[in-house]
Amino acid sequence: MNIKLKTCASAIALAAAALCTAPAAAQGARPIKIGFVTELTGPWTFFGTSCVAGLKFATDEINKAGGVLGRPLEFIVTDNQTKSDQALAASRNLDINDKVLALSGPTSSDVALAMYGYAEQQKLPFLVPVAAFPQLTKPGTRYTFRIEPDAAGWGYAMAKYIEQVKPGAKVALMHSDAALMRAIMAGFRYQAPRSKLNIVADIMFPQGSSDATVQAAQVRAAAPDYVIVSGAGAFDNVITNQLLDLGIKPQQIIHPYGITTQVFGWGQRSVGSIYGTFFDAGLDTLTPAGKDFIARFDAANNRPPSYVENYCYVTPYIFKEAIEAAGTADDREKLRNALSALNTKEKTSGVPIVFDKNGARKEYMYFQEIVSVNGKRNYQSKQRFYIEWDPEVIPVYDLVK
Amino acid sequence: MTDAQILILMSTLSTGLILGAIFALVAAGVTIVYGCVWLPNASNGQFFLLASLAAWTFTASFGWTSLAAAAGVLILGTALSYLLEWILIRRLYDTPNRNVAYFVVTLGLTQIMTGIFSLTYAKWSDQFTLPPVIEGITMFGPFPMPNNRLVVMAVSLLVLVLLFVLLRYHPYGRALRAVFQNREAAALRGVNVRAIYRLSFVLGSVIIFLGGILFALAYSYDLTVAWTMSITAFAIMIIGGPGSVIGALVVGMTFGFTQAIVSIFASPTAATFSYLGAMLIILLFRPSGLFKR
Repeated sequence: MNIKLKTCASAIALAAAALCTAPAAAQGARPIKIGFVTELTGPWTFFGTSCVAGLKFATDEINKAGGVLGRPLEFIVTDNQTKSDQALAASRNLDINDKVLALSGPTSSDVALAMYGYAEQQKLPFLVPVAAFPQLTKPGTRYTFRIEPDAAGWGYAMAKYIEQVKPGAKVALMHSDAALMRAIMAGFRYQAPRSKLNIVADIMFPQGSSDATVQAAQVRAAAPDYVIVSGAGAFDNVITNQLLDLGIKPQQIIHPYGITTQVFGWGQRSVGSIYGTFFDAGLDTLTPAGKDFIARFDAANNRPPSYVENYCYVTPYIFKEAIEAAGTADDREKLRNALSALNTKEKTSGVPIVFDKNGARKEYMYFQEIVSVNGKRNYQSKQRFYIEWDPEVIPVYDLVK
Repeated sequence: MTDAQILILMSTLSTGLILGAIFALVAAGVTIVYGCVWLPNASNGQFFLLASLAAWTFTASFGWTSLAAAAGVLILGTALSYLLEWILIRRLYDTPNRNVAYFVVTLGLTQIMTGIFSLTYAKWSDQFTLPPVIEGITMFGPFPMPNNRLVVMAVSLLVLVLLFVLLRYHPYGRALRAVFQNREAAALRGVNVRAIYRLSFVLGSVIIFLGGILFALAYSYDLTVAWTMSITAFAIMIIGGPGSVIGALVVGMTFGFTQAIVSIFASPTAATFSYLGAMLIILLFRPSGLFKR
């Protein structure tokens, strides 16, 4: 319990610190304020607080190194309670009362969509760190920029991975009825015939499902080469375990995405299975800064970071580069133009950061194989596949409305 | 039958039995409290979740085995139930229309517990799992059944049978049923009504805690399970008949098997509302539930 209490205390302390501090090097100068509206309570608490933990590392680094244009970077962290109306109210407050230069923060697509409408209407630059719903960068988007690749693209990437490792493979899909999973599967279903893959079972579970034994048996009876598993929350683990119980091999299971707690949940019995990710301690391409971030995050939080924390770590650096390119921290339109023209790389892994005309990023994905899982403390993975693609290589905005 | 058909049949049976037994157990806890104390416990889902999360804390943070964690949670749950009864529940025993007052009070408890979980467990993880009580699998033809789930199923059914025997044949059970039926008459016959209320609240709550532990042993779970279980337990109680343990058992099992069967022939989505549809139809014909007391 001590570890958990420490984790909680440090998360609260991090959030409080991000709210209140302007580190020493740039103190005195007027801070550059950015509204960070994220999930500190509600169903997405874990993602929001993990995100803030990553954000704080980068903010401290930047401010200790002199800030941005000689001014400290200040993220005003605000709780959206995982609610769209609360996110909208917080955005309005940050815009009108705090006069923030830009918005950022949500890790839930539903919440991000509410902020998207406000940002586009008010011409307020909005950098979304972790939300994958494609419509966040639908055609005509001007002020919103998304760091995470869109979810339909993840489905595309999975099809390309399977096409490479087993041409003509038979694939079963098991997923929850949630916006994220529907988008992933829509991308996969679109790409599967083009990659000469055969979908032999396609099962969707409503939210709140607790058992998948019967469906696991149906999938086993269909004798697939691979099963793509994407359950909401803990149900992902339920499906995985029940497939393994029925004799599906770990090597046959592919998870579209995996964060640290998910890998811990899958556990040692999932060694050999594959998961998609955008950042992981097991990447071949980690930069020295990436390795340093992982070590420091692990020491502070008793677990390695996943792509959620990484994207929130990367966010302040993207703002820094864009503000410096704009040459001012007081002009939203110039910041928007600088973000649009940005051509840089992630500090932690070196992957490119380039936004298209709609604010969607040049997309990419890693596929990792689980090598070992050490309880709830650590795991090892091996990079098996890396792919980059143009955001509109498949018709993402038609596939997912 | 082919192996594939046997596999699907056996998976349907096992799912129906495990889900049904856990549903029935939690509904039995809810129905005992409501039938006796007239307390519609809106926080039953949070009690269920509290037990699951406490068991997770004991295993993940203290390194206890799942069996020791289960025992620890049951001891703590019993103490907590007594404390809650002493501080809060007994103050409303003689309030007119106390079912409404109890509903509001337990709704408040739900909000408080939801807030606490959100500030604590929700920050520590997005999903929770307990290690199995027992490793290994048992083969039923081509169907491999994890021994851990067999234990969960056996314990759930055993507790339901014990509960039925207790309420049917033990003096406490007879007194409890007397209070169910007529509080004043029971008091005139020498039954200590307030003591029966207290025992019923504690027994019902501990059964819900046990349901939470068993669920956590059989499945991974997250914080949303509280809401799902709360709705399901109330639905089972209403259809089975408030106060009827046999009603909870029969309807709980029916819910479990309905979910399993409909999810094969239609879809898992249809399965989730199929039993609620069945509930509405039954209530049209039997407004007091199938096993009216």
